[in-house]
Parts: sequence; C-alpha cells; structure tokens
Amino acid sequence: MEKETMLSLERLGVDTESALARFMNNGALYEKFLRRFVQDQNYAALTEAVREGRVQDAFAAAHTLKGVSANLSLTRLTESVSEVVEALRAGDLEAARALMPAVEEAYREITAFLRELPA
Amino acid sequence: MEPEVRNPYEAAAGTLLIVDDSEINRAILAEIFRGMYRLEEAENGQEALEKIQSLGGEICAILLDVIMPVMDGISLLRELAGRGLPQKIPVFLITAETSGSVIQEAYELGVMDVISKPVVPYMVQRRVNSVIELFQARKRLNSVVEKQRSEILEQSRRILELSLGMIEALSTAIEFRSGESGEHVRRIHDITKFMLEKTKLGRGLSQEEISHIALASIMHDVGKIAIPDAILNKPGRLTPEEFEIMKTHTVQGCTLLEKIPQLRSLPAFEYAYDIARHHHERWDGRGYPDGLKGSEISVWSQIVSLADVYDALVSKRVYKDAFGFDEAVQMILDGKCGAFSPELLDCFLSVEPQIRRMYHKK
Repeated sequence: MEKETMLSLERLGVDTESALARFMNNGALYEKFLRRFVQDQNYAALTEAVREGRVQDAFAAAHTLKGVSANLSLTRLTESVSEVVEALRAGDLEAARALMPAVEEAYREITAFLRELPA
Repeated sequence: MEPEVRNPYEAAAGTLLIVDDSEINRAILAEIFRGMYRLEEAENGQEALEKIQSLGGEICAILLDVIMPVMDGISLLRELAGRGLPQKIPVFLITAETSGSVIQEAYELGVMDVISKPVVPYMVQRRVNSVIELFQARKRLNSVVEKQRSEILEQSRRILELSLGMIEALSTAIEFRSGESGEHVRRIHDITKFMLEKTKLGRGLSQEEISHIALASIMHDVGKIAIPDAILNKPGRLTPEEFEIMKTHTVQGCTLLEKIPQLRSLPAFEYAYDIARHHHERWDGRGYPDGLKGSEISVWSQIVSLADVYDALVSKRVYKDAFGFDEAVQMILDGKCGAFSPELLDCFLSVEPQIRRMYHKK
C-alpha cells in the first residue's frame, strides 16, 4: 500500500496499522475492500429505515455497517455507528435519530476520500 | 484466483468452511488461513449445510457467523448438533454478538470457542489451529486404538487356538495308550459343546464359557496315564480289585491337572478339574469317586459323562464291538450304562439325531 495513501487515511482517523494486521499485511486486499466500501448499501439502508421509523431494519443495517467499518478500521465512523447501534438495540428511535448527523459526517468524510482511490 | 501455498501439505490438512454473509468478513478470515487449509465459503446457514453435506469428512473446521439471512448461525448450529457433528468437526463462532444467552446456547450446542469481531489474526489462528490439531490427534489416536484392539483380539484367538492344540495333543497322547484315537477326544469336545449350545442345559452360560467347558472336556481321562497297561487294555472283564484301580483315574486326573501351572491359569481349569474328577458320578449317587448325587454333579460333568458313555457304546473298543446308534440310545434310556438326570436325557434325545451325524461310519 502506498505511503501517501496510508498517511491520508490516518489523517482521517483510520487505524491503518491494525487494519493491515487484520488483513495479514495484504495491502492490496485491504485497498480492494476500502474501494468496495463506497458501494456498501448499509448506510443508505440505515438512513432510510431511521427516516421511516423501522427500528428492526435500522438495527440490522447499523449492525452490519458497524462490522464492516470496524474491519476496515474506519474508527470515526465505527464509533458513531456504535452509538446508533446501542440506541436502536434499546428500541430508542429518537436517540438514534439524534445520533445520525455524526454518522453522516463521518461517512461522507471517509467515502469522499475512498472514491478518489485509484482503481 | 490461485491461493499462494505456504504449507505444501495444505491439501492434506483439510478444508476450512467459512460461513458469513459479509464478503469482507469472509475475505479477512480466508486471508488468515490461506495456505494452511483448503478454503470453502458460504453466505448463510443453508448454503453451509449444502457444503457440509457435499464435503463431509473433508471439513476440518467451521467458522460461523451468527447474524445471517435465510438461516442464522444458531439455527445452523442446532441443526448440526442434532446430527452430532460438533463432536466430530470443531465449530467456532466468529461474532460481534456479546449477548450472554447466545454464547451460552452456542456452547451448549457444542461450539469449541467464541471469537469476537473484528478479529485479530494471530489470535484466531492460534485458537482455531490448536483445536483442529487436537481433533486430528484424537482421530489418529482412535484409529491406533482400534488397530491395536483388533491386533490384541487376533492374538488372543491365536493363543486360544494354541492352547486348544496343546491340550488336544496331550489328551490324545494319553488316550492313545488305551487304543483311543484323537477322534474320541474331539468327539467328546464336540458333543459337549453341541449340547451346551443347542439345548437349555447351556442356559446362563456365555459362548466364551461354553468354549472353556468344551476345552476342559478334552482332558476328562488324562488320569488314565496313571493306570497300568494290563488293566487299561485288558480285553476281558476287570476284577473288583482291578476296577478299584481303574476308578482312580478320576482322582489321578484332577491331581495331575492341578500340578500343571500353565493349566491352572487357564479359565478352563476349574471346569477341567471338575470334569476329570466327576465324569463317573451318577445321578442316583452310586458313582465315583465322591458319590455325588443329583444336581450336586455339575451340568458339564453330567454331559461329559453321558457323551463318554454314548461314544463308548457306538465305537469299537478293546473290550467290545460297536453298537448301533438306536441300540446305544435305548441302552442309555434303559439305565444299562449309568444313571442320568431326566432333563439331561430329554435334551440329549432331542439333539441325538444331529450328534450321530458327527460319526462317519465306514
């Protein structure tokens, strides 16, 4: 993985060191899934479900999104999504709604960068 | 995409089945075990079941996620537990689920370990590999044990065969002096075995015990070795004094058997002692040497006693010609050749037609 890319990711709060360890130092594989994250449907599913008040669906999407971002060590996104997961686990739609802006910000920030990664 | 092989013995190590609906999770786990095992993936419990069905014993471990569509991890686990599979193939839960009840049920269903997400490679590796190694060692041990067990059985069988051969040789040699052939000894063995196996006289005896008794019956007349030739092979009737000496072959026989250490350690020894000593007792108590009466005489001594009489009647001997089978049976029933229990005679009659076929008369 290119040094520059790693530094940029770290500036975005990504724990590249732990991620590479998780991917058995296979930088190419890590990058492949970073790029793919842009197409992940779970963020969209989460926002829609929260908007429509579907707590169970929102929980499932949040849970999966959390898992994926944790695997990629996208720490800012993982932390904000975790809070939404717990709120939804307790069935607290209001609290979830209140936490969504933080999630949105972290999501937009990281995906903006990932979209620019060379194929 | 060809996996790079770290371990040239990868193929022999078995197949790892990774079950998770998230592609990234599967990719991470696959990367951790690449080169150590062949890898298979499934997106949900249903797909996993299909893979398990088609790959069977090739699978050396299953890495299982909990939350999946179609069939989740716990449902799959329940299915596998119902088939006793977690005892043969180790199952590992890889999950972000920390709820105690899920984990508890998983362990109850036979899961080997619960590993949390997101995974730390060296931890997953170690935990999974250790258990796989254990299972494989256990498998190898079981097959070694099996192999040794059948070797031991084979050896036991050979030892028994050897013992039987030696005892037969000994008894035949002794009987040889009185003009008997090895056939007499074998017939007593066969008749005794037959009566115990095919009639209710053998009730309560295991097949093994019956074999021991049959072996013991071969030695019933070893005491004859102590009887002088002149008496043993006298063609005419014995005088009362001669008869007294002849009678001692019972006590001489059991005493002789007692003196042979290798015989004493055989399970058949107790039976052999009994039969050698008591095969001339009579149901009415007028037999020898101890004058035992009725059921004081053991079943096996009674049977050998009868077999001995029957065989003597239908065979040519030094002192007589052979009688016909029907004649012999009649003589026995008429009480002309010893006294036997009614039950014994009943059983004997019921199988005598089959017993007489053991004799190949010229």
